[in-house]
Amino acid sequence: MSLMERHHSNVDLRQRIKVPPVVWMLLFFLVVFTLLFPDRFLTPLSLSAMLGEFVTIILFALGPSIVAVVGSMDMTFLGIWMLGGILWWYLSPILGPAAVLVLPLLGLFTGWLVGTLLVRARAPSFILTLCLTALYAGLTARLAGGYPRLIRGFDFLTARVMPVVPTELLWSLPLILLAIGLMRWTPLGVRLRAVGSNQEGARLAGVNADRYRVIAFTLSGLLSGLGAIIQVKHLGGSVPLGLDMQMLVAPLVAIVLGGTLFTGGAGGPERTLLGTLAYVVLYRGLYTSFLRPETLEVLVGLVLVGAVIFASRGLKGVKVT
Amino acid sequence: MDLVRKGFGENRAIIVSVLATIVAVIIFQAINPFFLSPQGRITLVYSSAYFLIAAVGLTFVMLTGSFDFSVVAQVKLAAMLCALYVDWLGPWVVVVAILVCGLIGVTNGVLTAVLRVPSFLATLAMSVFIEGVALYLSRGFLHVVRDRFLRNLAVRFVGGLPMVFYWALAVWIVAVLVAKYTRFGRRLYALGGNVTAAELSGINVARDRILAFAICGVLAGLAGVLYIGQYGGGSIEMGATMMIPLFASVVAGGTALTGGVGGPQGTILGVIVVTWIQAGLQMLGVASDIQLVVFAIIAILMSIVTVDRSKGSIVT
Repeated sequence: MSLMERHHSNVDLRQRIKVPPVVWMLLFFLVVFTLLFPDRFLTPLSLSAMLGEFVTIILFALGPSIVAVVGSMDMTFLGIWMLGGILWWYLSPILGPAAVLVLPLLGLFTGWLVGTLLVRARAPSFILTLCLTALYAGLTARLAGGYPRLIRGFDFLTARVMPVVPTELLWSLPLILLAIGLMRWTPLGVRLRAVGSNQEGARLAGVNADRYRVIAFTLSGLLSGLGAIIQVKHLGGSVPLGLDMQMLVAPLVAIVLGGTLFTGGAGGPERTLLGTLAYVVLYRGLYTSFLRPETLEVLVGLVLVGAVIFASRGLKGVKVT
Repeated sequence: MDLVRKGFGENRAIIVSVLATIVAVIIFQAINPFFLSPQGRITLVYSSAYFLIAAVGLTFVMLTGSFDFSVVAQVKLAAMLCALYVDWLGPWVVVVAILVCGLIGVTNGVLTAVLRVPSFLATLAMSVFIEGVALYLSRGFLHVVRDRFLRNLAVRFVGGLPMVFYWALAVWIVAVLVAKYTRFGRRLYALGGNVTAAELSGINVARDRILAFAICGVLAGLAGVLYIGQYGGGSIEMGATMMIPLFASVVAGGTALTGGVGGPQGTILGVIVVTWIQAGLQMLGVASDIQLVVFAIIAILMSIVTVDRSKGSIVT
């Protein structure tokens, strides 16, 4: 084996066993909090709470992490959940259990709409999706008539089947696997990555970037819509009537912590899974520490700022706006 | 005819804004005759003045092609600082609040221009942090301001209109002069138009970007000071519900999210359109949820109208 080849195989090996930073972060948080609070942190109650929080964030973050791979931002997940939830309530007396289908349909439509607006009108995605979510929030409040509405039925989504693990998590697993599988092991995933990392290169290789952008947003909307079915029941069977910035930001943090930046090409749902775990462990750990909730907010904000700086360190030479 | 068409093409956003203002005023005046009465005018001034100051700040950042999500959080923090420490610091609290927001602006600028974090992400994160600090300082309680100096800053009447009107007017005039007639202003247009070209022609892009964010912070701080002076405290319910109209008014004024076009001279029109529509809707008894829908639609439509499509196919 020549020196050159040996060098290459070393690089290969290093790349293969290269652990993403988020894993170290996760392990670090786990060890620190377990040592700090040995009798409070890893109790069944605390674990169950962490898994519940995990479900909340991952269901919101799956779709946007696909969009992030093509270099855009999708904040419609909150709007789809709110408006979809209230439409579900609204249509239940008319359509019966079939009313649940309104959520994936709304997601599909929203994703397609955003994608199409983006590639046709070239308006930046973060503002487009933020405005659309605000629009949906307004419609939600209007349809609800000022009261949070309880959606009945579908209790099997949340009925306990085993200790510690919330049933919602089991229902979320197929969605998580679907998102990861699509991005990792299908030609579609490869093309989406190509569009995100080098649009011009992808175009020259015969990939229609605009078409794949629309596909990414549609897929994201669909995943958010399907996830919202579980989410509605997971978060107590009703949806809030006002826009909660914290809820908008937490999934985005999880995506960034995982190492997917909204500039495209890198990361994906599997990294978001790790990012969500890290976020949940950190949040629970801080929560366990009996810090005042106000202090907690400041710390979460600091972690967030640190996370985006850390995650952006690979953006040298990229045009950043 | 060609000249007319060219003029329309260049000033499309401003023309749309002016027409929208006129139509909105006619409709609201026809439905509610109090709309343009002296009392109605004062209400309009109160709802648009501090808003204009914050919007002018955001305009500077958007001119460079960046975005600042944290404006609303900064307004909130400045208002909170004033309410909490006015008894202790006296008039100096105004300086402190504005300086703090200026520093936040510098931080936003450094994050974007030096550490190369995309601005919408950096400022979104900063906004969570600032809100956390505001919550930490206030402990979630309501604070009422009785300090005469602080109140007079906003609500003392001069020539039939409250002081806050003159502050907003002064800020706007200075901002227009800076953007149109100073080297710094022209550099902002240059780097917003084409950052690579600006860099190659010797502009210190990082410094100017940081300065733009700092201006945005200072103006957000001033807006917060006047806000608390005007309302005297209370729970500060802002957030996404203020961000959307704020953004809508900047894009409605003709400043594109892609940077390089528009400027503070248009922002005043955007603010007038947005606050008048808001006030008109309130007078008609339209609920705040539908107002949010209206502004979201305006924001989406105007960002599509203003966006600069000559910049190739790069979308984010």
